[in-house]
Amino acid sequence: MKIKKLLILVGIPCMLLTMYFINHQQSVLAAGQTVSQVQAKKTLILGTSPDYAPYEFLVNKKGKNQVVGMDIQVAQKLAHDLGVKLVVKSMDFDALLVGLETGKVDMVISAMSPTDERRKSVDFSDVYYLGGQSILINQTDTRDYHSKNSFIGKKIGVQTGSLQQALTKKQIKGAQITGLAKVPDLVLALKSHKIDGIVAEEPVATAYASNDPELVQIDGKFDLGTDMQGSAIAFPKDSPTLVAAANKSIDQIKKQKLIPQYLKNAGQLMKINTHNTSMWHYWAYFAKGIGYTLFITIVSIAIGILIGGLLAFGRLAKNKVVRGLALVYIEFVRGTPLMIQIMFVYFGIGLWVNIPALVAGVIAVSLNSAAYVAEIIRSGLNAIDAGQTEASRSLGLSQRDTMRYIVLPQALKNIWPALGNEFISLIKESSIVSIIGVTDLIYQLKVVQSATYKGVAPIFVAMVIYFIMTFSLSKLLNYVERKMQHA
Amino acid sequence: MLKINQLVKKYGDNLVLNGVSGEVKDGQVIVVIGPSGGGKSTLLRCLNRLEDPTSGQILFEGTDLMTLSEKQLDQIRTKMGMVFQNFNLFPNLTVLENLTLAPQKVKKESLDQTIAKAKVLLARVGLANKADAYSEQLSGGQKQRIAIARALAMSPDVLLFDEPTSALDPEMVGEVLKVMQDLAQEGMTMVIVTHEMGFARKVADEVWFMADSQIVEKGTPEAIFDHPQEPRTKQFLAQVLAQ
Repeated sequence: MKIKKLLILVGIPCMLLTMYFINHQQSVLAAGQTVSQVQAKKTLILGTSPDYAPYEFLVNKKGKNQVVGMDIQVAQKLAHDLGVKLVVKSMDFDALLVGLETGKVDMVISAMSPTDERRKSVDFSDVYYLGGQSILINQTDTRDYHSKNSFIGKKIGVQTGSLQQALTKKQIKGAQITGLAKVPDLVLALKSHKIDGIVAEEPVATAYASNDPELVQIDGKFDLGTDMQGSAIAFPKDSPTLVAAANKSIDQIKKQKLIPQYLKNAGQLMKINTHNTSMWHYWAYFAKGIGYTLFITIVSIAIGILIGGLLAFGRLAKNKVVRGLALVYIEFVRGTPLMIQIMFVYFGIGLWVNIPALVAGVIAVSLNSAAYVAEIIRSGLNAIDAGQTEASRSLGLSQRDTMRYIVLPQALKNIWPALGNEFISLIKESSIVSIIGVTDLIYQLKVVQSATYKGVAPIFVAMVIYFIMTFSLSKLLNYVERKMQHA
Repeated sequence: MLKINQLVKKYGDNLVLNGVSGEVKDGQVIVVIGPSGGGKSTLLRCLNRLEDPTSGQILFEGTDLMTLSEKQLDQIRTKMGMVFQNFNLFPNLTVLENLTLAPQKVKKESLDQTIAKAKVLLARVGLANKADAYSEQLSGGQKQRIAIARALAMSPDVLLFDEPTSALDPEMVGEVLKVMQDLAQEGMTMVIVTHEMGFARKVADEVWFMADSQIVEKGTPEAIFDHPQEPRTKQFLAQVLAQ
């Protein structure tokens, strides 16, 4: 009977929510952008995944991260032609099209090919750049590999969901394909001989080969016929005027032969990054990441305790509805991955209210933590002997004062280690906000990886930093715990 | 001072109090005896409504407790101290704070006033030197004496004792009973649930024998212990006194 009730309690809101989103989704997709809308707000927001030099990558200019590269120059040209200001928003490649669909960005330029599948959900401009496909190999293997045909039966790496993946599948028969999300990760895999080669766009391969003496670029000699789609600008579905405006700018880029100039500029900027690749040189990147990670953690702990406390009391409330709501919330949040919650808050809530990625990250992490904190607090309150409450009430202390002076202080002492555990795991788990572009430590680690073309060193640095943070917190918690053990 | 009329308490289908009535007069010491499961503790816990009776009437100084709100009940409880089998001292507070918390928060007495009074009470139960200790540092007998002092700190009109010596090691029973005996001699109104028959005979003005959810027999200690009328009382006393 109880289980049935719970199912109804949880199931019905879930179903309603799902139905709402299925219905709502179509209307959101139908809303295209026009040139006049963009000109009215005077800004053009570009979504890009800056881990793909020389298309788009980050440089440190006067201590500030800046997204640069060939694609950014294309975007600047378009913004200039429209007479508006360009704003660049960084996100994971996988999140870019969702960002476009939910209105987080006005367009996406991220070395993205206009595949038929993508065309179903967004509009594309003409192709602005068509590069060849190269293969990156280890310098020690130069004698064994000459073109795509050398890789029959070998292991080859590609970016997940990329054009290269489809190309490799079709044209290198019998190759074992390893898909990873980011090029720096693929390079790591190559250098540790997990794979034998990486299929990448020619400029990307050139960038890595010229910055890392251990890597060599060879011509893939792929059959680039109809499969080769090049890169185009993505706009929200049904934005014909924007597409037309973009095509006009792209036409000029082609006529004035601006792309080689853009690539040259990008190459020069890349040298800023690789000029000094020691990790000390990038301390400001890590410092920024630490700042954001700590900020998210501390704010989320505070909000998590507050809401978690309320939820715990809700779970113990006399009112059945309050109890049910608290239970549903806790079970639902604990039963879904934090990553999905973060994407839901950022993209889902973003349909109504446009919240910045950092705020969305903090909200999602706090609400997630609240559910766990609630259960910790509830178990702590339950563990206090009923005799304590009876003694307190028999003295005339109200329920509220009993909670405040008798039960809570004792419960807090008991649950402190469990709460501490939750805080420590929050430092680590908050790293997942990097997927929506919050510049926390993990995000910065990837930035440093792609800026320095070094794979392992930044991972090591980030690992040590995480350890220092969690270890310090653990020591601090122990200190407080000892203070509470008065006798 | 305290009157109960036809008190009934049910847990589901289980009848724990089956129409219990009685009266506690000012300055009287009532000792409730009887076999385990007879309803003694439930009766006591109903008196300050830690337990909610299913039906019946509890009149305390003329007020029917069954009709009171939570807030009014808190006020009444300040006048009815309670001492528990398991002491229930607050382990997060010092002994002194155990005594001063309720007078400060409920009766809004000043800190100085409550501390002074608490020290007098601690001296009275022979534990003046334990003011800054925590309950985990005390023996069972000491804990129970502190618990009595804590109840007294509210200056109650009546004290309820729920098997105050049942959880104690035998050598500590005496120190607690001594404190209670002193209180009785000073004229404190008390209702005591206990298995200490010798003590009952010594301090009780009236003994209530409870069994099977009812008060079977009431009377002076002499009447109950020396001339029990009911067969159930005789049977119980025979068993207890044979030990």
